[in-house]
Amino acid sequence: MIKLKNISKVYRTKTIETTALNDIDLHVAKGEFLSIMGPSGCGKSTLLNIMGLLDEPSNGSIVVDGQSITKYASKATAKFRNEKLGFIFQSFHLISDLSVIDNVELPLLYRKISGKERRRLAAEALESVGLINRKGHFPNQLSGGQKQRVAIARAIVGKPAIILADEPTGNLDSVMGDEVMAILTRLNEDLGTTIVMVTHDERMAKKTHRLIRLYDGSQVATASLA
Amino acid sequence: MFLNYIKLAWRVLARRKFFTFITLFGISFTLGILMVFLSFLQSELGTSAPMKHKDDFVWISQVQLIRNVIDTIPVVDSMMQNGAMVFDTVSYDYKERSSGQSNSEINCQLAEKYLIGLPSAEYVTIFNSSYTNDVFVNGVKITINALMGDPNYWKVFNHKILEGRTIDQDDMDNAAQVIVISTKTAREYFGVTSGVLDRELKMDGKTFKVIGLYPDNSKIVDIISPDAVVPYTIYNMENQDSYYFGGFGAMLKKRDGATTQKLKEEIYHAASTIPIDHPDNNWEMNEVNFKPAATYNEAYAQGIYYEDKAEDSHQIMSFIVYGLLLFFILLPTLNLINLNVSRIMDRSSEIGVRKAFGAHQGNIVVQFIVENILQTFIGGLLGLILAFLLISLINSGGLLGDAILKLNTKFFIYSFFGTLLFGILSGFIPALKMSRLQIVNALKRK
Repeated sequence: MIKLKNISKVYRTKTIETTALNDIDLHVAKGEFLSIMGPSGCGKSTLLNIMGLLDEPSNGSIVVDGQSITKYASKATAKFRNEKLGFIFQSFHLISDLSVIDNVELPLLYRKISGKERRRLAAEALESVGLINRKGHFPNQLSGGQKQRVAIARAIVGKPAIILADEPTGNLDSVMGDEVMAILTRLNEDLGTTIVMVTHDERMAKKTHRLIRLYDGSQVATASLA
Repeated sequence: MFLNYIKLAWRVLARRKFFTFITLFGISFTLGILMVFLSFLQSELGTSAPMKHKDDFVWISQVQLIRNVIDTIPVVDSMMQNGAMVFDTVSYDYKERSSGQSNSEINCQLAEKYLIGLPSAEYVTIFNSSYTNDVFVNGVKITINALMGDPNYWKVFNHKILEGRTIDQDDMDNAAQVIVISTKTAREYFGVTSGVLDRELKMDGKTFKVIGLYPDNSKIVDIISPDAVVPYTIYNMENQDSYYFGGFGAMLKKRDGATTQKLKEEIYHAASTIPIDHPDNNWEMNEVNFKPAATYNEAYAQGIYYEDKAEDSHQIMSFIVYGLLLFFILLPTLNLINLNVSRIMDRSSEIGVRKAFGAHQGNIVVQFIVENILQTFIGGLLGLILAFLLISLINSGGLLGDAILKLNTKFFIYSFFGTLLFGILSGFIPALKMSRLQIVNALKRK
């Protein structure tokens, strides 16, 4: 589903060159639930961002769902991102000016779908995360766990083949973290959605199919957990 | 999608109350003040009746007598030789300077003789605008600022005649006690604004018969909007000061095809033919001029900021007026850009999220522009209301004397679209910049 070949990411300033990722080769299979672990600053989020086409690698090639990605700022890539990928962020990134249902609807705005259909799909996504009764609320009226569930609903509303989650339980307590993890697991098992999750939490990582570990931008270990 | 942008824009405005207030205040206040300022300019310097031909006018309000003297300045070239001053050559320099001048309003006959019949003038009207009289109506004093004029007054100024007729040559020849009054005078003197023909108006110990009625065109400049007009031949010409000076002024309307500059030159030439050796010249003056021989706008500017040459006054006033206009527009625009930049920067995470979920650069730019258009539109409407209130306040309070301001829809539309354009541009530049951000960087910004 996702093929990374010789991926490197180097940040350069006038005086310093920092290697965030060093020659990463990775293949994520369709329907796989992969977790990425490693110490802070090892390049986990950078790797996830590159897989999600949110960031460009300095070197290497990337193929997502059979499509080789070269132009990151193009309309076609934006469309591809919209249709194939869903994102969950540690700090939720909900838009505070929009209600819960409007936040969930957001990915559908960039598709040719009627307003009525958008509403129906957004309600369905909210239903699946158990927050339909909160659809008219605004993000600042929700708890952290609820915010993340709204973010999950937003990520799945467009029925993407791949979900990329950057520490989705990082800002939550263990109970809420478990709830969010349960939703992700269900998504993976019931709908066959491919999920790549960055986490610091060993307990959460153990619930996935495979774990890779990064250290200083390099892949140092892979463990199959399924 | 578009509807969604409007919905979002509305919510953003509603939820960011402080930003919205500052922005709307800036836009509406700017538009409001601009409208009032332009209404005033339009009222004073526009070409609406009775000033339709305003740009063809050359205005003369005074005659000027000047005494020029020639100073002789000896120039001595000298040098020091062996400690002693040695004189070499002596030459003489001659410099003309004005050692005295006398200005006053023009003698009527002088104006008639030297200003009527200039080739570039289509019409010349000669008038005395200081025929101000207090009259009593039912024990209440009213002041009538009347103008002593001639038939051409109505050809130069296109007052609409509501009833009756204007002064004709017979009235002039017979020094008829007839009067054409404004609706203001009709209202104040007769208590009606129509049906006043053939009624009698007593003023200055005379009984005038009303022969015409024209609408009140309130302006600051009294010759344009007198309360009434009578033939100047009723004036006792013996009361004039001298051969040169009297209480009169003149407005010349240039002929089609001629220029105001050509007309001015003809006026200067006519002045140079006025005899200077008349016995009334008892101050040894040796030059005579008509002043200011200026276009209407130049004379108006000179009334506010006096320079010897009316053209210079006009140039300075234009600079000030355009400077003020630019200031009125530029200051809030820069403020708006500044606010928009920080507002959009503030929402970089939103831009990141939108792009992550499929928005392309164009979607982002359009979204912010829609927000700005909505914001400017609301600001524009508030500005219109503000301008309307300010103008009503100025008119009802008589803050500008008799001048009545009118809301000029043409200017409003121009200013509105101007502000809209600035709104779009001020949103476009930061939105474009932010939309180009890499998603990952946009998401990282707080």
